[in-house]
This record gives sequence, structure tokens and C-alpha cells, in this order.
Amino acid sequence: MADTVTAPITSVEEPLDLVRLCLDEHIYVKLRGDREVRGRLHAFDQHLNLVLGDVEETITTVELDPETKEESVHTTNRKMDMLFVRGDGVILGLIPSILYTAPLPKKLDNHAINLFRPPRERYETPILFDLSKD
Amino acid sequence: MLFYSFFKTLVGQTVTVELKNDLSVVGTLVSVDQFLNIKLDNIKVEHEDQHPHMMSVKNCFIRGSVVRYVHLPPAAIDTALLQDAARRESQQSTATAKA
Amino acid sequence: MSEIQAYVNERVLVVTSDGRVIVGTLKGFDQVTNIVLADCQERIFSPDDGVEMAPLGLYFIRGDNIAVVGLVDQEQDSSLQFGALRAQPLPEILHGA
Repeated sequence: MADTVTAPITSVEEPLDLVRLCLDEHIYVKLRGDREVRGRLHAFDQHLNLVLGDVEETITTVELDPETKEESVHTTNRKMDMLFVRGDGVILGLIPSILYTAPLPKKLDNHAINLFRPPRERYETPILFDLSKD
Repeated sequence: MLFYSFFKTLVGQTVTVELKNDLSVVGTLVSVDQFLNIKLDNIKVEHEDQHPHMMSVKNCFIRGSVVRYVHLPPAAIDTALLQDAARRESQQSTATAKA
Repeated sequence: MSEIQAYVNERVLVVTSDGRVIVGTLKGFDQVTNIVLADCQERIFSPDDGVEMAPLGLYFIRGDNIAVVGLVDQEQDSSLQFGALRAQPLPEILHGA
């Protein structure tokens, strides 16, 4: 049996498990107030308070030209080294595609197994995937 | 409690608290509580010429609920340790939710 | 939540979530930052005129509506030329948009 199968399994059973898999990954987060941030996820909790590193924030504003009545969309960008984001502003986060596209880097093998592993409750014996055959 | 503990490790550091009214306050982190209310010392409001409202305030309490961001000094943060703590806490809270 | 215990009986400046600035003597507070202020005055900032001081008396402010509670440096405060200060009022706290 390959080592990957006996490695400790942390399964994906609820949304926050997926956020946990994003730790140390570069993620995209959409915030209230027409803001978006991209950065490396260093910490999160159940409120979706976050700490992100190497952050780039984009603020989108719509301006109305008083004469032509035309709306124009502007974006402003800011870079920040390390940022705490309060969870009540978080609308959604995008999981990096690397977590569910094959072929997977070695360090993500366990993640891949667990993403496709059915919830524990429905099966008496754990279902194991042996990726070493491919 | 992860972020409460995290902020406690940053006491004494200079941080910038950005509020949901777009006001940014720079100061030394004095204390934090379980609601992530923040107390700062030696504060300066960014762009004070436009925001002179708090000119005579040097020490203040910021309610956690009005915080948008806290800009942190990267040198004060061990990211590997922080990630481990986040992983551990999330697994713990899942376990207690099931119990 | 003993954070503002140190401000009791001191002059404090409160920024409310609708952007108002109220100065008063902190008489009490609780877990959720409900506060009681004595001898309050509201400082109304305007871009065209100096700061207007509106006396308010004894106030209770619900915690949800509080953004910042600051300790006033009385010496510095009394040296400020409020009549000459021009500024837009502070924006309100936007939780939603």
C-alpha cells in the first residue's frame, strides 16, 4: 500500500474544511463595499476572519459623468504585506484551482483523496483511493 | 479564540486599523479582547488634515465590529506557526461541533 | 472587556457609527460597549464654518452605534482653535455596501 493511503485523513465535510485546505495557498476573496483581495492565506476562523500575506486589494468604483450621464468604472489597487480581514466583510472566496485539477503535485495528494472522499457517516469502512497506480 | 490569541502576541507592535468609515488609525497595540475590540496608544489618524476630529485623542478604544482591516507588521508574524494554529483550531472546532 | 475601564470619569471623545463626534465624561459602560456620558457636547464639523458645539447633557449610547472611544488630552484639546477648523463630517460606518 502506498504511504498516501495510510497518511492521516482530514476529510472535507463542511465548507470550512475547504478553507482549511487553502492554508498557505494564494486565494481570492470578495468583500463587501466592492472590494476584492488576493493573497496567501495564513489564518482563518469560523467567522471567516482572515490573515493574508502579500495582499493586493482592488476597489471598484462607479463614477457618473455629470454632463454626459455616462457611468464609468474605475479600479484602484493597493498592496499590503500582511493584513487581518474582519470576517463580517467576507462575501466569498475562490479556492485555487490547483486543489482540484489533476495531475496533482505530490504534497496535494492527500487533499485530492479527501476532496473526493464521501462523508464518513455514510460508510462503515473508510473508502481509500490508491493514487500510486496511475 | 485564534485571533484573540494572535492579536495578544502583537501587543506592543505598531499597527494600522482601517475602519468601515474609511478612517485609518495608526498606533501601538495596547490590548485586545474576545470581541477583537482593539486599544491603541500614541494614535495618529491618517490624513489628519482632512480628518481633524480626533486631534486631541492619543489613546483610544476601537470597537471590533467597525474594523475592516488591520495592517500588520510582517516581521512580527511567524506565518508557519500561524498556519499550524489555524489548522489545529479548525479541526478542534469541527470536533466539538460534532460532539 | 475591561478595556475602557481606564476611561471611567475621564473626558472621552466618542465617534458614533453615523459619523457624529460626541465628547463627554464617561460614567459607565458594559460588556457590549453601551456607555453613559455626562456633560456631553456634540462637535459638529462643517467644511464652511468652524466646529459647532451643541450641549447635550447626560447621554446613553448603545454599543452597536459606537465606533471609537478616545481618551481626550485636555491640555491639547483646550489649545485647539475649533472656530477655525474646517472639515467634512466623518462618514458613517458602512457594514453592508
